[in-house]
Amino acid sequence: MNLIVRGIIQIQEITLLIGRVLRGIFRPPLYLGEMVRQMDILGFGSLTIILLTGFFTGAVLALNTGNTLQKFGVESVAGQLVATSLIRELGPVLTALMLAGRVGSGIAAELGSMLVSEQIDAMRALGTDPIKKLVAPRIVALVTMAPALTVICDMVGVLGGLLAAITFQGQASSVYMASAKEAVTYNEILGGLIKPTVFGFLIAIIGCYKGLSTTGGTVGVGRSTTQSVVIASILIIAVDFLLSKVILSLLLEP
Amino acid sequence: MATKLSAIEFRDVSLAFGERVILDRVSFGVRYGESKVVMGGSGMGKSTVLRLVLGLIKPDAGRIIVDGEDITDYNEEQMMTVRRKIGMVFQEGALFDSLSVYDNVAYRLREQRVAEPEIEPVVMRMLKFVDLEDAVDKMPNELSGGMRRRVGIARALVGSPKIILYDEPTAGLDPITARTICELALKLRDLEEVSSIFVTHRLQDIEVLASEYVVRDDFGNLIFEHEGDKMCLINTKFIMLKDGNVIFSGSDEEMRNSGHPYIRKFLDHER
Repeated sequence: MNLIVRGIIQIQEITLLIGRVLRGIFRPPLYLGEMVRQMDILGFGSLTIILLTGFFTGAVLALNTGNTLQKFGVESVAGQLVATSLIRELGPVLTALMLAGRVGSGIAAELGSMLVSEQIDAMRALGTDPIKKLVAPRIVALVTMAPALTVICDMVGVLGGLLAAITFQGQASSVYMASAKEAVTYNEILGGLIKPTVFGFLIAIIGCYKGLSTTGGTVGVGRSTTQSVVIASILIIAVDFLLSKVILSLLLEP
Repeated sequence: MATKLSAIEFRDVSLAFGERVILDRVSFGVRYGESKVVMGGSGMGKSTVLRLVLGLIKPDAGRIIVDGEDITDYNEEQMMTVRRKIGMVFQEGALFDSLSVYDNVAYRLREQRVAEPEIEPVVMRMLKFVDLEDAVDKMPNELSGGMRRRVGIARALVGSPKIILYDEPTAGLDPITARTICELALKLRDLEEVSSIFVTHRLQDIEVLASEYVVRDDFGNLIFEHEGDKMCLINTKFIMLKDGNVIFSGSDEEMRNSGHPYIRKFLDHER
């Protein structure tokens, strides 16, 4: 089977999976407890890496742009630059990439191992729909937690930028914060929340699909895990481009 | 019209994965209270038979009847009600890693939203049946291979299903543990009148299942008896699968007298 046919089949299977999730998500049993548990594991569990990512990204943005801004005599807009970059682009994308690496791979590995050790079959034999019990809670968890984590990432990033601006550019914190505040408009925030919601969905659905389509035993689990990270990362970057265009033309530059 | 005589019935069931033919017009039935031992080499579609009964996969052609219901065209939701009648013991136990032994056994009842106080006595009774009451708080990774299978059996028995499917429950176990598993199957067959399909390729299992039976004496003790030369157990039958076909179907005595070269090879080699 060549690459194109395989790709089309995968897209078809993912679409079917999404369909089954959407149908299952509104019909009881709902497994709310499992959803909260996944939010804790997938969302709260990723907080540390998101804090670190956000902080250093913000700091390095301020650091790198500081000299250039100074050349043009506009170092006072450093705050705005950092905040806009983070909210529009870096916050959502970096958070999503981190989640794809940490959480997407974990989902694929867990579901993959469950599949090869017949636990998924056992679940069905015992009267549970694995789509409802395993897939839906993970999707709900990531769709809700990815935006939350992105907001935290943006916030910490602005603080990281502030620290760098004060330390290395000798800027007054009030100047930086005032400029940063200008960047934070409702439409910016809305645009900055749409992206991670979509990314969260992508990470979860790719992780679940790859896990549940594992073949070939333990080796297959490794393969699924790798593929889930690769596919999710590429999709995030590609979809980010498309979403940016849509958000720009609808919200920011109407 | 489906007869109510058979707990499970396969009618001309065919299944192929791509080019590979797994089952080719396979027909057989399991009567109520009967144990059907399905034998055959690896990759001969033994486990596939069990998956078909559970509706985990669907056949390409033919009909499958479970407890008088034709389940061939049932969707996942309809299958859920059928699966309540069936207990399945998976090859390696297939216990949920993230749940303790107690939670594993209680799983089915929790899914059916049974109240917690009603769950505990059932779980403890099942664990007592497989003699694992002490392991109730253990996690699956703390258990030996034999214990995992026994927990798997306990989990399958919750809800008192009248049909039990065993997928090579003794594979890779030492002879004593394997015998324990077979004795559990005998207890279910002779005392609980469970219908079952027992997939195996071990002659020792066949020996035990075909020639021993269990009775309860006046004091409630279980006694394992051998059929001897004068009587013959009729509640255990055998079928042998090869290349997608049933090449033998009948009792163990008939199998031992069979002249089929593959069966001869199978019996001699395993010995």
